[in-house]
Amino acid sequence: MDRAGQQPGRRRGQGQLEAMVLTALHEADEPVTAAWVRDRMGGGLAYTTVITILSRLLAKGAVTRKKAGRAFVWTPSADAAGLAANRMRQLLDKENDRGTVLTRFVSGLTGEDEQLLRDLLTKSHDSSAADGAQEDGTGPETDGTRRKRD
Amino acid sequence: MGLFVLLPLVLPLTSWPVARLAERRLHPRTATLLLAAVGAVLAACSTLCLGLLVVVGTAQLPGNPLPDGWSDPEVRQAVPYDEVLGQVSIPALAALLATCGATLVRHRRVHRRALLALEGVRNTSVAVLPDKAPYAFALPGTRRSRKRIVVSTGMLDALEPAERRALFAHERAHLAARHHRLLLLARLSANAHPFLRPLRTAVEFGVERWADEEAAHSVGDRRLTARAVGKAALIAASGPLSGVLAFAAAGQVPRRVQALLAPAPTTRLWRPPVTASAFATWLAAAGAAASALSSANAAITLALILQAATPL
Repeated sequence: MDRAGQQPGRRRGQGQLEAMVLTALHEADEPVTAAWVRDRMGGGLAYTTVITILSRLLAKGAVTRKKAGRAFVWTPSADAAGLAANRMRQLLDKENDRGTVLTRFVSGLTGEDEQLLRDLLTKSHDSSAADGAQEDGTGPETDGTRRKRD
Repeated sequence: MGLFVLLPLVLPLTSWPVARLAERRLHPRTATLLLAAVGAVLAACSTLCLGLLVVVGTAQLPGNPLPDGWSDPEVRQAVPYDEVLGQVSIPALAALLATCGATLVRHRRVHRRALLALEGVRNTSVAVLPDKAPYAFALPGTRRSRKRIVVSTGMLDALEPAERRALFAHERAHLAARHHRLLLLARLSANAHPFLRPLRTAVEFGVERWADEEAAHSVGDRRLTARAVGKAALIAASGPLSGVLAFAAAGQVPRRVQALLAPAPTTRLWRPPVTASAFATWLAAAGAAASALSSANAAITLALILQAATPL
């Protein structure tokens, strides 16, 4: 219990620093040095800490670096969203009461629900297909018109 | 205080008819606000009365902070519930406060972690995360961070463009109307009194219906919205998160789809002047009012007795 309670806390600390560094990199419009990142994040962080975090992010594929003169310059890789997705997934998997905050689009289904839902959708699809036959091509933004132009 | 202190502990029962009927008979916005408000009043009153019983119950405990005049026979006669009821109410109140505290802590923690998970992603109103697992939810903002909609590519890929619009409209409705606060209120109320649990379920369903109606209104197509909800539920059920989702109130999604396929609900409270739902609404309102009055009565009486018994 104690161990389980402490571990996420430690991970969160690391994750928070990584997220802050990533945010700083995103705010820069061009590749920047570790010193720039440290200044951007405000005082309190040692240069080596920033380097450590950047290296960790590099290992995860969240940032890329290239040589510029004697130092490295860093840019967030396109996969920052992927990292966020991983973190979000962990949260969703773990928090079985996430409904408190995260009002989700849909909740769970039982087997019976699923059948009922399929029936309802088939019924609605049939009737909308009948409507659609009359209104075909009237919507200016439908996929169909775009395809025709291509 | 007499029987008045016990009434608010029983009166939450008066909310059951409206919790059952509101879903079908009232507009989801009216129903949800009504249920959340009734639940909050009933929960606050019953908690107050539980607290009063605790004050009386501690009279038996050594070292209690009650005045010495408390043990006078006439005072004892005025405050009858010091034995079993008073003793039982002490652990009951402790458990109540603990579960409400735990709910609040969990609420904050999930919210904070979700915000944290999104750091590093561009600060747009919709955060699209590359994940095959289909999910979509509204993430309320804080003072420092904006409110956002979080959606996975797995969810977006499964929906057609028009259906995505319905999904976004649904989530925006949650955010605009601050549904997370209503949900938290309903959950805290249900923690405060087990009789209020049907109300919590009804509020959870109500905010979804409310957002569905807003979405249908904003995309202008009820059938399309129904299809978006239905398709999202079906892919979520077959997705990798289905295990953790299964706990959620069963039967909600088909009812939502069915309601969307039916004509739009009227915003008037009830159509004919006297119906079952009108009666249920009045009953719940009367229950809440009676609960408030009797808990106020009991609280004032106890305060007066304590004041009278305190030698100054």
